[in-house]
Amino acid sequence: MTTSPPIFAGLTSPFPRPERLIAATRDLDRGRTTPELAEKTFVEAETELLALEERLFTNVTAGYFRWNDLFRPIAETWGGFTVGPLTRWLETNTFFRQPILSSTPHRAAGAFAARLPPPLTSRAAVARVLLPGPYTFAKILENRSGDSELQTALTLGRLLGEEVRELHGSGFHVFQFSDPMLVTDPPEPPADESVVQAYRSISNAVPAATTIVWTFGAGAGPALPLLDRLPVSVVGIDLTDTEPETLRPGPERLGLGLGIIDPRTTLAESLDDTVGVVREALRRRPSASVWLGPGAPLDLLPARPAEQKLLRLSDVRHTLLREGVG
Amino acid sequence: MNTHLFPTQEIGSLQKPSLEALREWEARVHFLSRLSHIPDEVLLHPDVGTLQNLRAAFAIAYLEAAGLDRVYDGEARRVEMYEYAVRQMTGFQFQGHVRSWDSKYYRKGTVVNRVDLTAPYHLEEFDFVQKHARAAIKLPITGPYTLADWSYDEYYLARQPGWKGRPQRRAAQQEFVVDLARRVLRPTLQRLIEHGCRVIQIDEPAAGTHPDEAPLVVEGFNEATQGLDAEFSMHICYSRYQDLLPALLEAKACRQWAWEFANRDADGHDGYEVLKLLREYSDTRSVGLGVLDVHRDTLETPELVAERVRRAAKYLGDPSKIWVNPDCGLRTRSLDVAYAKLEAMVAGAALARTGFENPRN
Repeated sequence: MTTSPPIFAGLTSPFPRPERLIAATRDLDRGRTTPELAEKTFVEAETELLALEERLFTNVTAGYFRWNDLFRPIAETWGGFTVGPLTRWLETNTFFRQPILSSTPHRAAGAFAARLPPPLTSRAAVARVLLPGPYTFAKILENRSGDSELQTALTLGRLLGEEVRELHGSGFHVFQFSDPMLVTDPPEPPADESVVQAYRSISNAVPAATTIVWTFGAGAGPALPLLDRLPVSVVGIDLTDTEPETLRPGPERLGLGLGIIDPRTTLAESLDDTVGVVREALRRRPSASVWLGPGAPLDLLPARPAEQKLLRLSDVRHTLLREGVG
Repeated sequence: MNTHLFPTQEIGSLQKPSLEALREWEARVHFLSRLSHIPDEVLLHPDVGTLQNLRAAFAIAYLEAAGLDRVYDGEARRVEMYEYAVRQMTGFQFQGHVRSWDSKYYRKGTVVNRVDLTAPYHLEEFDFVQKHARAAIKLPITGPYTLADWSYDEYYLARQPGWKGRPQRRAAQQEFVVDLARRVLRPTLQRLIEHGCRVIQIDEPAAGTHPDEAPLVVEGFNEATQGLDAEFSMHICYSRYQDLLPALLEAKACRQWAWEFANRDADGHDGYEVLKLLREYSDTRSVGLGVLDVHRDTLETPELVAERVRRAAKYLGDPSKIWVNPDCGLRTRSLDVAYAKLEAMVAGAALARTGFENPRN
């Protein structure tokens, strides 16, 4: 009898702001409300989502509602960075402020941790910390530091490792590095070795931590040879962009993250089709653990349909737990 | 027909002025005289329709006062370029806001039934502009690819069997774009042309979002304009144009590319170099040359505008192919800043003319 791998589930990105939080942030921008009232709305939104996540999932995020984009918490807190112009986020109609790196970056202790959703501090053991992957981060920034892109990726890997070490000291265990450009614009040799080294800096910082590299935006099949070399705990791929037949067996040590919720459509995923594609993926690539989540960032949706999709994500996990992955 | 080199045009939306701002601008651009007399009590508390007329008349006068050769109404009657259009159709539902960046949001519709046109749109606004503008007119309208890309698709995607992976999404998107082009855009464009609209800018800002779908952008454009007689242009912004070429060149009825360049013409980057590709492809269409960065308050000088125009003329090898415009709509800038930018643009275009023989003569 074969045993099923453990199946985890959780958010892989900031969650869309609920409508009342949208109203509050708009009002704050326009001077129609106070920072105190807006803060109250943030706390309410975080508390509600956290309760839902605790009911449905193995890991929680509290929504990361306060983040303006994936890079801003670092661009605003690490030395060497300033925040630059609006830039399109991959193939989406959303934008981020491009970080501008003017000198070799350095981190300030505690600064990034202070940007985590406040409720996560008391749930550190089950929290998922979101961080930008070093490869994508190095590629999207405006690099005026004088260092090459590869050197910058290595430096970012080292600094991200320091963040992991500090946060692990505060009780956090699960760290997800969103690195979509590993599949949308994969590095060619010898740049790929720098990416491996950057992730080695991260995993060496705290070998006991669970490190997830999460990819989306393109099929992961062609990038799997590189992804399999990364010294991380879990490799995440977006099944809504990856044809299952492009998957191949990977190292036994690696868990497999599967993006099975598509934020590009409000159409609810079919339970049967989704369970079926997960089984197909695991048949082609048996894995030590399975981490289910949305593929691309779920904040491409409005909050209400996104909540519906969270329920479906939970349904898929429970169906697989009940009926097995085989 | 403009007889001078480097004629100027607007690209799209302007900030919608408050009543107070309208009163202040009346002293500068005198738009009220273009309208039938409006009693003072109505001006103090205008209904929605009157306010839209005031804003439209203001935008026309504002653009003309800045010296532009081609104008429109600053999209004064449109909520914005997506939602306004979608609300003229059946088949859509709105489910909430999506973040564009920071605390800026937009409403994104979901197509839940086959799309159809309620009634051709932009007719009333076009008639108003035609009646009140003194300069030439160019009407902007959101293109089918962008309308589809900025929507959630339930109807067309649900028709695809099984797991909704990339091939299924692509097939559904193609069906959606073609339906929008045939059932919505084409009949609307047809009616606009019947009303006298001769120059039409089809806005496809989403074209750069998925470069591998450039052929679908073109298919939508061709389906929308098939059999229609007007001077069509295609506006695309914030894209790597080299990734869209040569596929875009198959847009048969397109006579002008209205693209953004100034945004990327900074810090040692030559934002206009990509124009060399058009020359390499022997593309003969004119170019609406973005010379104003619409995302920054920093004012371009006439000298900078002139230098950009001359540089583009060199890359294209033919100065007569250039129209001068902002990168995109100036809606995100204050009316004061936008006006100063437009004045600099017009002055820059004039400055650029010096030293050129005018092949239009």
